[in-house]
Amino acid sequence: MSSLKPKEIDFNEQWSIVLGTVRSVISMGRFGQTDRAIWQERFFDIYYLCVATPDSHAERLYEETKKFLEDHCKSMKKDIAESDQNMLSIYVKYWTEYKTGSDWLNTLYAYLNTHYVKKRQANDMDTNYQPFECNNDTIDPPLVEIGEMALDCWTKIIIEPLKDRLVKLLLEQIHLDRICECVNQTTIKGVIMSFVDVCQHRKLNILELYEKSFESPLLQATGEYYREEGNRCLAKLDCIQYMRKILLLIDDEEFRSRKFLNPTSYSKVYNECLQRLVCDHFDTFKSECNELIIKEDLDALRNMYKLLKPTHIGINYMVEKLQDNIARIGHEKVQSLKGENLSTLFVETLLELHTKYMNVIKETYANDPEFVSSLDKACATIVNMKYGNRLSAKAPELLAHYCDSLLRKSSKAATDSEIEEKLLSSITIFKYLDDKDYFQRFYQKMLARRLINQQSISIDAEEFMVTKLKQICGYEFTGKLARMFQDIKVSDDLNIKFLEYVRSELSSSSSSQNQTMTNLLGLDFNIYVLQQNSWPVAQTITNTFILPHLLEKPLHMFEAFYGKKYSGRKLCWMYNLSNAEIRMTHLDRSYFVTMGTYQMAVLLQFNDHQQLTLTEIEEAIKINIKELEKQVLSLIDAKFLIGNTSELTMNSVISINFDYKSKRTKFKIPLISQKEANHDSESSQKAIEEDRKFYLQAVIVRIMKARKVLKHNSLIEEVITQSKQRFLPSIHIIKKCIEILIDKQYLERRTNDEYSYIA
Amino acid sequence: MSTQSTNNNTNNPTSDVVTSSVPFTLKRWNLVGIWSWDVAHDVCAICRTALSESCLRCQAASNLQECIIVWGTCNHSFHNCCMSQWVKQRAQCPLCQTDWVINRIGQ
Repeated sequence: MSSLKPKEIDFNEQWSIVLGTVRSVISMGRFGQTDRAIWQERFFDIYYLCVATPDSHAERLYEETKKFLEDHCKSMKKDIAESDQNMLSIYVKYWTEYKTGSDWLNTLYAYLNTHYVKKRQANDMDTNYQPFECNNDTIDPPLVEIGEMALDCWTKIIIEPLKDRLVKLLLEQIHLDRICECVNQTTIKGVIMSFVDVCQHRKLNILELYEKSFESPLLQATGEYYREEGNRCLAKLDCIQYMRKILLLIDDEEFRSRKFLNPTSYSKVYNECLQRLVCDHFDTFKSECNELIIKEDLDALRNMYKLLKPTHIGINYMVEKLQDNIARIGHEKVQSLKGENLSTLFVETLLELHTKYMNVIKETYANDPEFVSSLDKACATIVNMKYGNRLSAKAPELLAHYCDSLLRKSSKAATDSEIEEKLLSSITIFKYLDDKDYFQRFYQKMLARRLINQQSISIDAEEFMVTKLKQICGYEFTGKLARMFQDIKVSDDLNIKFLEYVRSELSSSSSSQNQTMTNLLGLDFNIYVLQQNSWPVAQTITNTFILPHLLEKPLHMFEAFYGKKYSGRKLCWMYNLSNAEIRMTHLDRSYFVTMGTYQMAVLLQFNDHQQLTLTEIEEAIKINIKELEKQVLSLIDAKFLIGNTSELTMNSVISINFDYKSKRTKFKIPLISQKEANHDSESSQKAIEEDRKFYLQAVIVRIMKARKVLKHNSLIEEVITQSKQRFLPSIHIIKKCIEILIDKQYLERRTNDEYSYIA
Repeated sequence: MSTQSTNNNTNNPTSDVVTSSVPFTLKRWNLVGIWSWDVAHDVCAICRTALSESCLRCQAASNLQECIIVWGTCNHSFHNCCMSQWVKQRAQCPLCQTDWVINRIGQ
């Protein structure tokens, strides 16, 4: 190899040698491979031309190469333009060859590219930075690397004049493919991609040529094709068939895009198809939609969802119709419910509905969040529907009853996990309640009954449920429930301490250590002391009840014990909540019966008398006569006692039924009648209203304490936000609470509709 | 419950004989009572909230601690937190204006 030292070179002589190689490189296919040695030599020839002394031949070399490439392209253009029939295949043949050739040529000209072109480009950049001296007319077209120059020649000389003809042919081919004629995929894709590849060197608008020259006519043709196709299909198919058909068409077109087009076109073609096949016929979809939902034609709905989801029109209409339909079915089902076990039926019906549509949404609507929320909204309307002229929906009460039936001992034998699973699903319904505080009130009442009567199935299950409620509504919501558990625990301790106290009081000898309550006091005495405001119990104001004689001593002992233990507290006994176990020994065998304290008191009267009138009983135990009648009737109903008249009057004579027989020896008798339970729910409604006012006041104070000064509207808004998870307060009641707080001097009304907090 | 009654019988075999003389024998009594603060007024005169509840400020703060009651020697009672705020300004009972001296604090 010769030295790299620059030398004097005759350009014409050297160029003719280089040109021969350039010609064979650019059209390699036709002139065979250039062999390695010659390649090396030419590479250095170009180097010597560039570094020639006394002057570089670089500029001439650049111009001559350009001229050659232009001539070369012109001759190819002639061939392509004249080949009528196989224009596309000739084009692709030349292009493939030329494209590879131009890459090689760029490598061959590496020295010129780096040392001439790039340097000049850098200089041009510098001069361009002087804006005032820049005059576009006098500036030569910018220099580009040889590979790029080759591609530019192709664009300018071949594509520009021929593109209309080429595109027309391409569109014809694509149309043939659509109607399932055989086409040459490689050729078509090759031509199309040449529009992209030929601009690969550009820094800006690489896709401009492709998009303007080819893509936009393609989209137009696609649109026209599918407009006609859509109309044609719709003329002979019904909506369900049509959807099935066009899904296939769209799939095919997607596949076609991948066969022929640049990836940037896929979504555009897809959208064009949707526009023509779906959006243009939206009314057809719309009029079919509701019926499909009612008929639950899930296959058709799945297709409709697939078609509408990606369009700009979207699925709102479907979502709306589905919601209406679920709500309608739900209302119908709920209103048709009848029977004794209403709470279970209600909850199970709702859950069934919920599960069903969760599955439908999963299978048919791809778990689309919009459909999930439409199910939520539908369930919320069903659950919170107010039937008849009731003030509140029935759901909170029914749901609380349902939970009670799960958590009460009497419930059908179920494993812990079954119970928890059912409780968990009841939470699903709970979340839909507007009036969560109503639920809480009922739940609390039933929990109280379970705890006091020791009917709870397990403390674990109880705590499980409370924890779940707490997760949704927060500590405040379950605070009272938690304190109820606490009270029961404290009472257990208290009973142990009381037993010790009784032992120490009643016997001094050490032998009393193991004495039970029964040994010491003649009965098993167990006391619950509850905190007034945590339990849903109303205090009876006047209590004239005369305790059976044998209970006086135990009770006084406990009161003394409690007074020593706690100061500042007073106790109020809730006899109506207390229960007793009586052993009946006068019959064929011994029976153990659990009953209310008043029932027990009535029965004990008959230890001293064979028979008594109602008046006599009333004198002996001194409870309200209405209440007494109820107690006595319940004992007659239970067949422990017999009355001499069918209607109970003050003079009715009541005596022991000595013929009583029962299969069971251990049972309890009911006290609360159905009527009472109804009255119960009305009175608790009032109590809830009071609770709400109180709760809202606390919310308002909390907000105002943090914000100090707030506009009326902002305060109302904030109150609603904060109490939403518990219930939806009316503006009216919020205003009322603000007034109360102004009265109590927590707040102060200021000018311009503002309140301020008084610390 | 059933185990208890059998225990009773084994512990005290005579009880059967004694009690069987009457038809109805009381075996067990579960008594329910509620306690409340032993106060003359139900409502705290300072915050005007029932003394059985926490004071309104404790409720607003979702205070987990119990809001206890304080009695003065005048036997008037208030929420302890309300009163401790009050005495910072006036060391007199808000109801009878006598000097405020704590008699006891509820537990």
